[in-house]
Amino acid sequence: MSAPAPDMIPGRVPHRQARWYRALAVVAALLIALMIGVTCIDVFGRYLLNRPFGGAYELTQMLLAALVFVALPLTTADGGHVEVDLALHMFSRRVQVLMGRLAGLVSAAALAYFAWRLAVIGLDQWHEGTRSASLMLPMAPLAFLAAISCAVSSLILILPRDEVAA
Amino acid sequence: MTISLIAFAILLAMVFVRIPIAFAMAIVGGVGFAILRGWAPAGAMVGNAVFETGLNYSLSVVPLFIFMGNVLAGSGIAQGLFSAADRVFGRMRGGLAMATVLSCGGFSAVCGSSLATAATMSKVAMPSMRRFGYSDSLATGSIAAGGTLGILIPPSVVLIIFGLLTEADIGKLFLAGIIPGIVGIIGYLVAVMVAVRLKPELAPKVGEVMPMTRQDAISVAAVLALFAFIMIGIYGGLFTPIEAAGMGAFAALIIAGLTGGLTRPALWAAFLDSATASAMIFAIIIGAEIFSNFVTFAGLPDSLSQIVEGLGLSAWTVLLLIVLIYLVLGCFLESLSMILLTVPVFYPVISNLDFGLAVLADPDAVLIWFAIIVVVVTEISLITPPIGMNVFVLRSVLPDVTLGTIFRGVFVFWVADIFRLALIIGVPALSLWLVT
Amino acid sequence: EELIMSSWLPPKHPIVVNAFKPWAEAVEKATDGRVTVRIMGKPLGSPPAHFDMARDGVADITYGLHSFTEDDRFNRARLGQFSFLGDDAIANSKAYWKIYGGTLNAAEEHKGTHLLGLFMHGPGLLHNNKRKIETVADMKGLKIRVPGGYVADLVGALGATPLFMSSPEVYEKLSRGVIDGVAFTYEAMTAFNLVDDIKYSMTVPGGIYNTTWFFVINEAKWNALSDEDRAAIEALSGEAFAERVGQAWNDADSAAKAEIGDKVDFYQASPEIVAALKAKAGELEQKWSDSLGQGYDGAAALAEFRKETGVNLE
Ligand code: NA
Ligand code: NA
Repeated sequence: MSAPAPDMIPGRVPHRQARWYRALAVVAALLIALMIGVTCIDVFGRYLLNRPFGGAYELTQMLLAALVFVALPLTTADGGHVEVDLALHMFSRRVQVLMGRLAGLVSAAALAYFAWRLAVIGLDQWHEGTRSASLMLPMAPLAFLAAISCAVSSLILILPRDEVAA
Repeated sequence: MTISLIAFAILLAMVFVRIPIAFAMAIVGGVGFAILRGWAPAGAMVGNAVFETGLNYSLSVVPLFIFMGNVLAGSGIAQGLFSAADRVFGRMRGGLAMATVLSCGGFSAVCGSSLATAATMSKVAMPSMRRFGYSDSLATGSIAAGGTLGILIPPSVVLIIFGLLTEADIGKLFLAGIIPGIVGIIGYLVAVMVAVRLKPELAPKVGEVMPMTRQDAISVAAVLALFAFIMIGIYGGLFTPIEAAGMGAFAALIIAGLTGGLTRPALWAAFLDSATASAMIFAIIIGAEIFSNFVTFAGLPDSLSQIVEGLGLSAWTVLLLIVLIYLVLGCFLESLSMILLTVPVFYPVISNLDFGLAVLADPDAVLIWFAIIVVVVTEISLITPPIGMNVFVLRSVLPDVTLGTIFRGVFVFWVADIFRLALIIGVPALSLWLVT
Repeated sequence: EELIMSSWLPPKHPIVVNAFKPWAEAVEKATDGRVTVRIMGKPLGSPPAHFDMARDGVADITYGLHSFTEDDRFNRARLGQFSFLGDDAIANSKAYWKIYGGTLNAAEEHKGTHLLGLFMHGPGLLHNNKRKIETVADMKGLKIRVPGGYVADLVGALGATPLFMSSPEVYEKLSRGVIDGVAFTYEAMTAFNLVDDIKYSMTVPGGIYNTTWFFVINEAKWNALSDEDRAAIEALSGEAFAERVGQAWNDADSAAKAEIGDKVDFYQASPEIVAALKAKAGELEQKWSDSLGQGYDGAAALAEFRKETGVNLE
């Protein structure tokens, strides 16, 4: 398991200083803040002003999807996906490195496949004009965001470490 | 049935060569589906699973409950809880470990995740226990075990996911977790007492208690206030359990602002960590969704129900078998994937059983009781080798402690958990008393 | 041949128990066991994905609501989502199959699949726990959960605040006073456990809203069946299925009414309310009819629908 230590200070790990990482992290933080904001506007609005926020449900859904896919490359770059390295100690260092590389490639293949399927969904929704039921927001951009997120995450796993940190 | 078992075996093999569990599940599930049904349908199924999981409204609690806990952790409230708990037990042998357990329970009341609870409390409790010469095994064991309470004592991301899978009332699930959670704290306290009685060298007698500062008192008050805010909000009808996550996160920010403990870097870290932890959890949920679509398609739930019916076992035997399966699976599977993969399979089996108890006459009551049993076995899985996520968290926070040491330290707590599990199965009223 | 059916409603839902399962059994019987239908205990995707799932072959057979998401592909399907369409689910469903399935060429809006059925449920009512709505002024300020854009426009025009949320959320929000009311069927009142939180239910002749459903099979899978089997299944589908599922909805409504008894005050909408609804509804119907473009006359289709179900708008 290589989840990042929760107290990790940004900047201590090279890739966390990379411009792309910081930019995505800022967007992710904004999305969390917006999710909190939407709930607050809805709940306070309904009691204090007697004006509930009709789009809260849908906006929360879409913000959540955006957050998950914006954060996916961050988690991937951190090596933050849950993995088990218990059996590793039984192998030599070289084999360990090889297994790590292999696991990275297999994961990258899965993510690339996700990206392709999400792009297909995005194109579908683009042509059919799929919109959310109440706010009438188009769904296709969200699917494209998800596709790009998976593609980027896949690349991160294929590229050598120092390029990711660049 | 056979094909599902083969798939499980391949899944485990992939996990053991270090392929992240999320992608291993997605690959085995997707390829399995393609073999049974063709590549085009499998591709469509996978795409849907990835996209729709991101859009799942109820899962909005995942980032927000985690953020709430992170904000409080970042503002030094966990330290205050620990110092306050130390006032209660400090003069006893093993007092610091007991304080750890109690403050883990306290932090669980404002944190929805076990991993976050363990990670937070390790940074607070571990330095003190080391300073006073506690053995690493008892110190880490108490944190790893205490941290598991995070998903039983409300709020709880796992209980919400259980509610999602079974359409159970999340408000009732939260209430149901409280008493078993307190039983868990008591069990762990007893476990510490027994451990230090058997092996006094685990924990030297400290004899002095840390001074209780004003800051500590504020921390305790803050945790109580936030827990009360969430509970009153949910049960007083001000907001739904899902909305409680957003409101709780907002309240945590206010509290952090009032106590003044949250620095800007800590706030930034709280945001960043909540985002990355959420992506990690969603990747697992997506993988599990794909895998369980395959298993459903292969007919595992149906054949399992038929086998159980065919054997004509009593309801209690079936339940014990399921618990046994959970304990075994809990050794190997990561906790969230375990719930996502098994609850849809076992829930239909359980819901058709008659346990012959008045308290379980209502199917909803059976469901809630089963939820608590599932959460407790999941807590156990978090500290069972070889794959015990809480133990992994501790090792990543404390790289100089070996896995073996932590697992050894966890053993007494594991025994306490087995007693608790038996108690919760034998006395359903423990789970149902607050609900009815 | 085993056909896989993905079902997202709870396994004990009346139309699963009384329409889809009996239909599956009837198919097996009519084809002498050559074609069987396995209904999955757990859906293979989210409810809104179910049309695409049949089209893409994730499952062979699916059902769902046309209004799950807003898009352009089921535009003509909205025929069945307006007010004043009929109080009997069988008549509604038969008319819907006949007119949307016929004149309005539903098959074209369901490309990639073969239609097994098109149907509607019983009349939608307006439930609330604040007051008996007798004048338009009574609607002012009520927070009403609505199932879609049309009803939202309708109640919004009368001064209420429309809100959107998933059906299971309604119980949480209604019992907490987040919303004051909901546009739902009789059946939904008991299915979602709302009876204790509703005081007044206003009926509108022909229903204030309805929802429209598709029941489809993957096109390639359908074409691969033998002519004999297809004929046998056709005989159980379309109008025959409209009858079957309409009966299931009617029975569910009756059971709900019996269970509710006098715990809720059911009353007819006043002439003033009906007139106000009609004015706004007419506007929205016209807008929809205009949007259909060349070759489809929405207004005529609605008139024909009402003639079939015996609703007199005058
Ligand atoms: Na908790
Ligand atoms: Na384990």
